[in-house]
This record gives sequence, C-alpha cells and structure tokens, in this order.
Amino acid sequence: MSSALLSAKGLTVETGLAHGQRLKVLSDVSFDLEPGKVLGLVGESGAGKSMIGRTIAQLLPPGFAVSAGSLSFAGEDLVAMEEGRRRRLLGREIAFIPQEPLSALNPVSTVGPQFGEHLARIGVAAAERRDRIRTMLEAVHLPRAAEIIDHYPHQLSGGMCQRVLIAMAFASRPRLVIADEPTTALDVTIQARIVGLMAEMRDAYQAAVVFITHDLRLAAQICDDILVLYAGRPVEKGPARSLLGAPLHPYARCLQLAIPSLSAPERQLYALAGEMPGLARLSALEGCRFAPRCPSVGDICRKSEPHLAAVAPGREAACYRVEMTSGITSTTEAPAEAKPEERKTLLAVDGLAKRYRTRQGLFGHRDFAAVNGVSFEVAEDEFVGIVGESGSGKSTIAKLVVGLERASSGRIELSGLDIARPSPEARRKRIDTVQMVFQDPQSALNPRRRVASIVTQVLEATAPQIGAAERLARGRELLAEVGLSGELSGRYPSQLSGGQKQRVNIARALCATPKLLLADEIVSGLDVSVQAQLIALLRRLRRELSFSMLFISHDLAVVRNLCDRVLVMWRGEIVESGRTAQVFAAPQHAYTKSLLAAVPPDDPASVWAPFEAPAT
Amino acid sequence: MRKVAALRSGRVIVGLAIVAVVLACALFAPLIAPHDPEEQNLISTLLPPAWSAAGDPTYLLGTDSLGRDVLSRLLYGARVAMTVAMLASLGAMLAGATLAHIGGYFGGKVDWLIGRAVDVWMSFPPVVLSLVLMTGLGAGVRSVILAIVLVDWTRFCRVLRAEVLVTTRQDYVAAARLVGFSHWRTLTREILPATLPLLITLVSIEMGIAVIVEAVLSFVGMSVGANQSAWGQMIADARQSIYESAWNLILPMLAIFVTVLGFNLLGDGLRRTLDPRLMQTRDV
Amino acid sequence: MIGPVLALFGKRLLAAIPILFVVSALVFAVLRVLPVDPAAMSMPPNATKAEIEAKRTEMGLDRPLPEQYAIWLGQTLRGDLGTSIHFRRGVAGLIGESLPATIELAALSMAIAAALGFAGGLLLFHLRGSWRGEAADLGSTVLMSTPDFLFGLMFILAFGVAWPILPFTGRLAASFARPMHTGFLLLDTLIEGRLDMFADALAHMILPATALGLAFSVPIMRVLRSSLYEVDHADYIRQARLRGVPEGRILLRHTLKNAVLPTLTLMGVQFGFLFGGTLLIEVIYSYPGLGNLMVDAVRNADLPIIQAVALAYAVVVLVINMVVDALYLVLNPRLRAA
Repeated sequence: MSSALLSAKGLTVETGLAHGQRLKVLSDVSFDLEPGKVLGLVGESGAGKSMIGRTIAQLLPPGFAVSAGSLSFAGEDLVAMEEGRRRRLLGREIAFIPQEPLSALNPVSTVGPQFGEHLARIGVAAAERRDRIRTMLEAVHLPRAAEIIDHYPHQLSGGMCQRVLIAMAFASRPRLVIADEPTTALDVTIQARIVGLMAEMRDAYQAAVVFITHDLRLAAQICDDILVLYAGRPVEKGPARSLLGAPLHPYARCLQLAIPSLSAPERQLYALAGEMPGLARLSALEGCRFAPRCPSVGDICRKSEPHLAAVAPGREAACYRVEMTSGITSTTEAPAEAKPEERKTLLAVDGLAKRYRTRQGLFGHRDFAAVNGVSFEVAEDEFVGIVGESGSGKSTIAKLVVGLERASSGRIELSGLDIARPSPEARRKRIDTVQMVFQDPQSALNPRRRVASIVTQVLEATAPQIGAAERLARGRELLAEVGLSGELSGRYPSQLSGGQKQRVNIARALCATPKLLLADEIVSGLDVSVQAQLIALLRRLRRELSFSMLFISHDLAVVRNLCDRVLVMWRGEIVESGRTAQVFAAPQHAYTKSLLAAVPPDDPASVWAPFEAPAT
Repeated sequence: MRKVAALRSGRVIVGLAIVAVVLACALFAPLIAPHDPEEQNLISTLLPPAWSAAGDPTYLLGTDSLGRDVLSRLLYGARVAMTVAMLASLGAMLAGATLAHIGGYFGGKVDWLIGRAVDVWMSFPPVVLSLVLMTGLGAGVRSVILAIVLVDWTRFCRVLRAEVLVTTRQDYVAAARLVGFSHWRTLTREILPATLPLLITLVSIEMGIAVIVEAVLSFVGMSVGANQSAWGQMIADARQSIYESAWNLILPMLAIFVTVLGFNLLGDGLRRTLDPRLMQTRDV
Repeated sequence: MIGPVLALFGKRLLAAIPILFVVSALVFAVLRVLPVDPAAMSMPPNATKAEIEAKRTEMGLDRPLPEQYAIWLGQTLRGDLGTSIHFRRGVAGLIGESLPATIELAALSMAIAAALGFAGGLLLFHLRGSWRGEAADLGSTVLMSTPDFLFGLMFILAFGVAWPILPFTGRLAASFARPMHTGFLLLDTLIEGRLDMFADALAHMILPATALGLAFSVPIMRVLRSSLYEVDHADYIRQARLRGVPEGRILLRHTLKNAVLPTLTLMGVQFGFLFGGTLLIEVIYSYPGLGNLMVDAVRNADLPIIQAVALAYAVVVLVINMVVDALYLVLNPRLRAA
C-alpha cells in the first residue's frame, strides 16, 4: 500500500499503571489513508480516538508511549522520527483542527499576527502575508476579512474562530489534516456549515483528512471510510455509508440503535447496559472488551479477543458472532394513548421576560432581553421540550421557573399561585412542587458529600429528625429507582462515571417527589449509549411515578423521542410550538426548518447539503 | 482520606515539627530557661556564645549589653511571639472569614460594602496602619494583637471572598437551596466545607505574618515593655553593639526566621495536599 | 487606546477621593482615642495641670471631634499640614524633605523586585519537574519566610560589618555637600555633573534597595511561575505546538505575554506593600525618609506628622495602584474593547 499517505499497522499505545502493570490504551489499530480521502475515527469518550491524533503529533501525555506497531506518513516512520523533522512536518504537511475553537487562539494577540507568524513559518514573504491572510479568510467565507485580521479572538464567535483555524490549517496546503471533534463545541446549525466548509477545503487542496468524532451519523455523511473504536480497539472498519446502513459489529449496531432519530417512526432507543470500561478496569478484562455488554455474547467471546477480520467484501469486524448482529433490534413503541385533554394545568407562564442591564461608557446602559415575553403551559404528567441554540434563552427560562433568577416581568403560576414575585409562600410552593436536574454533573454534586448524603439531601431540610439508618434506607431506595446499585451509597462523586453522576442527580431531584421536574441539558455531553440509558430511565420513571417535565435541550432528536410537546426558542422568544411529532414533521417557522435541516439525516444514503449561508 | 495524605507531605511534617518545637519553648520557658531573662549582670556584658573562646558556659548563647542571658530571653521571647501568633491570627480569621462568607454568598449591596471597606483598608501599607493603630491603642502586647486583627482581617477577607464566590456559583449550592436549605444551612453545610482548606492554610501563614509584625513593633519599642523580652526588641538592642557582638543580632533573627519558616512550610504543605483541584481523579 | 486609559484614570481619581476622605477620617479618629495625652507629652514633666490644659486648648484638642477633623481637613486642602509638636517646624516642609528620599528608594527597590521576580519566575518554570525545580521551589518558600527587615539586617552584617564593602547608614557620605534640586539624590548629583557623588549615593542605596527588592520579588516569582504553568496547558499553546512553532518562541511570544497579566495584578499589590516596607528599612539603615519621620513621630505622639505622613503613604499607594491598573488595561485586550 505504498500510495497510502498515512498508514498505521498494529499501532499499540501503552501506559504504566500503579504496581508496574502495563495497560494498552490503543490496541492493534491498522488503517491506510489515501490522499484526498476522509477517514472517520468514531467512538465514545474513552475509546482512544484522540490518542491517535496525539500519537501523530507525538504529544502523548506523560507516561504513554507507542509499544508496538507502526505509524507512518508518506513512508516515513512517525514514531521514530527525529524531533526536528517532526516539527518541520507539523504545521506544513500535517495540520490540526482543534475541538474548542474559542480557546485555541492566543487571547492577547489579534488574528493577524498569529496567522502571520504561521505564514512566516511556512515561508511566505513578509510583504505578501497580509494579502495571503485575507485570501485565506475569504476562502473560508468570513465576511469583512480585512476587519477580522485586527480582531481579538474574544470578539469572534465560536464558528468564526473555527473558520480562522481552518484557514490557518489549510494555508500551508497540507497533505494531511487531523480534525479532532471540530464541531462538538458548536451549535448545530454552525456545525453543519463548518462540516460543509471542511469538505470544500478538502476538495480544493486534495488533503487527506482524519475526522475524529463521536457522532456516527455525522461521520457517515462526511467520511469515505470509518473505523469504529471501543475501549481502545478497532471493532469495525468499512465504507462509511454501508457501515452506518448495516453495521456488522454488535457495538456499532447498538450505537446505531441508540441514536434518536428525527424522522423514523418512534421507537425505543436501544439502551446498552453498563458503560465503556475505564482505564483501570481494562486490564482486568480477558476476551472481547465488549463482552460484558454485548447482546450476542457467547462463551468464546469471554475467553479470547477477536481481531479485525474481513467479514464481507470491503468490510471488517472484530467479532466471533457477526451473524447475530442483524438480529439486534429495539422495539417500536406503541403510540402513547391519547390522554384525555382534561388534564389540569400545572405550570402556566405568561409574558415572562428577563432583562439584563449592561453598563456602557460612564453613564449609558443597554438592556439585553434574554427572555422576551414568553407564554406557555405545562399540564400534569406532560413532558414538554424546549429546544434552541445557545443564546436562545432556554436555560434562562429554567432558572426563572425554579427561582434562581428573578423575572423582570410576567407571571409564573404553579397550580394557581404566582411564584414570580418572591415571597415565603412562593418559595415554599416551589420547593414542594418543582425540582431541577442540573446539566453539569461535575458542579451539581458536592464533592465532599457521599452519594447517600447527596441523594437524601431534601430530608435534611424537611425532616431533620429522621434517623441515620432510615435515611440510608431511603437513599438506597432512590438509587435503586434510578438503576444504581446500593453499594454506591458510600462513594464520593469523584468516584462515579458521568452517567452515574447524572443518575444521582436525578435521584436527588426525585427524593422531594416533585410534580414538575426541570431538566437542563442533562444528557448533553454524555456518550450516546449512556444518553439512551438515561432516556429509557426517564420514560420508566414517568410510567411509575407520575410527574411533568420541562426538558431543555439543543438536541432535537432526543426531544422528539422523549417529549409530547415542544417549544422552539430563538433569541428569547418562542417561534413555534406544538405536538412534537407534528412540529418536526411539518415545521412552519423558518428557524425551525433551519434547525431540522442542520441535523445529519438517519439514512446515510440520503443527501445532506449543509448550506453555505453567511458565516456566523 | 485527604487528611492522611496531608500528614505524609514532607512540608507539613517539617513545618509542624518546627512549630511544635517553638511552641514547646514558649510553653516551657519558665522551666527550661537557665536564667531570669530580666536579670542583669553588668560584669559579664556582651559575652559571645559558649562555644567561642571568650564564652562562658553558664551563658550558653552569650549575654546582651546589660548582661542578660540571651538564651533565656529567646525562650521568653517565644512566649510573646506564639501568643501573638495564635490569638491575632485567630481573631483576624474570624473577622475576615465571617465577612468574606457573608459578602461572597449574599452578594449585592452587602458584598459591595464589604469590598469597598477592604479596598480602603488595603490602600494603606499594613506597617503604616499598624503604627497608626498602635499610637492610638497605646503600647503593649494586647494592642499588638488588636492591631494585627484590625489590619490583617482584610487579607483573609479578600482571598476567601474569591473562593466563596467560586463555590457559590457551583450548581450544588443552588441545588441545596432548591431542596429547601435555609441560607444558614447552605453556608455551613455546603460552602464552609469547601473553603475550610484554604482557611486553614491562610491561618497558618497568618501566624507567620503575626510573628513578623510583632517583631517589627517590638523593634520600634511599641510592643512589650522594657521589662519583658521579645525578639524584635532584642534586635533593636543588638544593633547598638553590632560591631562588638554580632551574635546578639543573629540569634533573634534566626529565631524569627525559623518560626516563620515553620508556619510557611506548614501552610504551603497544607495548601498542596488540600487543594481540591488535585483531588479529582485524573482521567485520561 | 488613549481614550480608555484616560477614562480609567478619571474613574480612579474619582474613586480615590472618597477613599482618601475615609482614610484620613479613620486615622484622625484613631489618633484621638489615645490613652496618652499629646499635650502632656509635649510639656516638660513638671508642668502643672493648668499649663497642660492651656496646651490642650492651644492644640485644639478640647473641641469636638468632627470640628477638629473639619479644621484639619480645611487646612490640609489649603496645603497647610500643621506644625510638628516635636520639631516645631511645618509638617509640609518635613514631608517635602523626606518624601523624595523614600520614593527614590522605593523606585529602585521595585525595579530590583520586578527584575528578580521575572528572572526567578522564568527560571522556576524552566526547571519545573526536575529535582532542581523542587529544590528551587523549596528555596523560594525559605526566601519567603524571610521578612524584608531580616534581609536588611543580614546585608548589614554581611556587607557592612563582616566584609565592609558598602555603606549602610544614611544617603550620602558625610564629606559630600548635598545638592538640592529635586530632592531625588540620584537626579540631583547628575544635574550637578558629580559622578563621584552619584556613585556614592547609589552605593548607599544598594543594600536597602536590594533587601527590599529581594524580599518582594519572591511572591512575584511564584505567581509568575504558576501563571506560566497554567498558560502552558492552555488550548492555544497546544495549538501553537501543533503548528510546529519552536518552544522558545512559544514561551516568549505566547506563554509569557499571557502569564504577565495575573502577575501584574500581584505586582501592584506587592508594590503597595513594598512602599510600606520602606518604613522599617529606613529605620534600620538610618535612611532619612518618610519611615524615620513616622517612627519618630509615633514615639513622640506628634499627631500632625503622623496624620500627614499616613495620608502621604496612602496617596502614594493609590497612585501605584492606578498606574498598575492602567498598565493592565493596556496589556489586556479583553478589557479594552468596549
């Protein structure tokens, strides 16, 4: 395969654990990337996909090293390469596009000098630099390129920064571009445009691209070939579209079934049990790493590790029982019974607004309306979703309902009582009725409290006389309800995984038996399989205890899967609302349409054209 | 779990050991001092330490310009230093921490007022402010303690307030309020445990600062009376006879340095082991 | 850029006025709660009660407190800082003689502190991770446990007594006649073209300035090191490495520029403390500045001097903070863009 630009053969990266053990974080990865092609590295967090990017740059974390296999670029060995030669390659022949664009540019320097420094390195003469910068910025569709040169990074949006970084990456006409989750931190409409831009650049410069992502559907749209990773091992490899259309490896299949869809008939998401094993547990596993969670597991799977082998023309999978994969399905859910419309209104919001005042100059001020006259209702036992991008005001609404912010005007009625005006009765009513599940499990759980103490926190305030044993029992009950084992009671939050933390979060909210639960982006930032578990959990809880939920998310597909009704927000206002299925099937407002169009379609065969509207 | 780690830190152990030794000297001075620190012996003035040629073994570390035993004076000086260190830092901590928590947690006008007060206070160099306060309060150890409390509460307040602000912004504090916690309960159960490590570190460092301030004030003659011994005072005396007996100057300097070093090592070690950022599990 | 900086100065000046009012009022109030009676202190020991009372009236100490303050304030704003009880001279004149000396000493100390702080911080950062780095860190903790006056005394012992190569008393050798132009000795000697005097004045300042500078450079070193460390882990530094920019250039052009900002904030605070630190150093080195003036005044309960000098210290510290804030504004683009 001498024509391959980037070639990996049995690449293995190890690290040393405590007690002298060695652990493979990447095992036996092989691929060949031809010039002008896009290779997708797909996997959930912890799968090892970023490790490959770091290995190429030889910026492995301390203690990690390549222990076997090879990685070569245009025939040269990347691992054994001498430092100076590698530094010459970086930035010229090999370019990187980062994950967090807003923090990837030097904050105390304008775009011009940073770009200029890069151009100087690749040998552009001083007199030509400014023109070259402007040309590149225009090539990435940045309006008013000449102005942007003199802007600081904090004056640009995330999407604009990413365009600048893409311009810098392609300025040297690299042969290889590594994009590590380049759109994860961006809004969904911007994501679509950036992906389109990258495809355009790839065509113009004939660069090979390694596209690292956790989003299987996105990968299927932009990549030629996909390599799926699980716990550091490649589990399936093949052409993107056919892989997504009919995955062969059980993990890939489960992943496909766990992603909520915007168009297919409603079905239950496949909730794969457990989570990907972390570093420490990996070494203890023998046999297939996926065996503990695999629906088609057999004895042979636990004994010996399968390797990538050709299973069909052009398709490889690492599984002993690929023939069972197509049998893995998730049930289509019976349509929810049409509940009688006589449900009582639980929450009624009318003309709600929140304005922030910012000082300008010495005496002036400017009002900014995060929420601008919003009205809606939530009935008992109803799940309502609020969707929108960043800055739409959806999180502010949650804070207003829950009392973390005070409304500038409008009413918020909970079972008849207006809680918008602060008063002891309002606070009491709120505490009894509403609870919130916060987005960031890191900051939502007090790191100094044990899980049992966090989960039963309500009792400290409402029933302080309760005995320790009784409290512990209640704690275990709650943990069981959210599907966690009682033995986690004594742990600290830092010892839990992301999914487990979110469950504890939910359990804490449930302890107060609320009638209305507010969930602010609680599944964003979680792996797809964990997300599916939590969605299944919420559905089950809805059946068992009955409560309403206001579910805030930027992910339309998740909202479609979970909520009866949806409110679409844009710049502080509700632009469209209605039953979820209807709104998503036949959107009326232009913004809703653009949101829907920006999501990569389920069917990889269908064409997805992220349009090139003016850049933001 | 974390406390065990703290005890294993080299800095903490050494710092604690030094502080313990100085504390022991202070507590047991009346028992271990070979002479009365105020007893003058005008025949044997400015004797060098016992190990040098002209030294006298009854005066292990020599005598000062009035023939008083240096070792005894050092030990009794430790009493003054440690008393001031403990009481003053405790007082400054109570005042500063209380205001920091109230201001940082409640925010708004209260916080603004406290912030302005801190700004005004800190626009004064601490040494100058202490001198002014001492003029108003009159000389004496009690005034020294009061002066330190009145000057240094700002240091606690400013640093802790930042930490309180960060903690208050955490979602789990909002969650506690949502679950029905009163302000008091939230402050004591959620915020205070988070700021406690920093508080402890600051107290340790403040003790070192208090020792220094006491030395400065006794150097200018505003701390203990003439019939008591304090390290700063010993330095002031020794300056007069710097050419004859350099040891009289070096020994109290050393005493101050070692004591402050002990407190700083302790504080530095505690900060490193109790830093919450280092506590989180490192994921790859 | 000029606009925002001027606006900042304007805002700070406006904010400084109430601060100075409060400060002066505080000082005033504290000094009136004396257990000692300044009137009695300024009279010979065998003065009768009547004489002391008369003195009190003369000093205005029998009037109500707010009235005393208003009188004092009015006089101060007119430039009349009162008369020293002890020296029987105008306070303004005394301050006019001492202030330049202290400012000169402080300025040299700040320069030394900044230079040592930056060099030390870069060195600590460069050595991090190795055993040398650990030793250096420990060394900086040891240095921080040494207050400025201990350094001052150590330098006297080492370079003044044991190995007498530098003077440690006063500003200028007694044999020289002091030139009187600006009050800043280094400038004055240059104005007169007397390089020998200049060298002598500088020699007198080396020990005290280095003691002060060294003591206050250590916190700067440590903050710079930790800032550099934090910035080094930032995304944009990583991205620069991925572009192949050489490490040296990264450190100087990218990391340092960003790490300077929090260090600058600390330097402002430290320089305020440093200016207060001149007080004790001046006493130790018998350096005729504001510090010695203050200490004498405190010993004699000479209220007019204490009030005026305290105010002088506060004013200088406020100016230092203003300058540092302005510098921060200039260097931090995020604050500038309105």
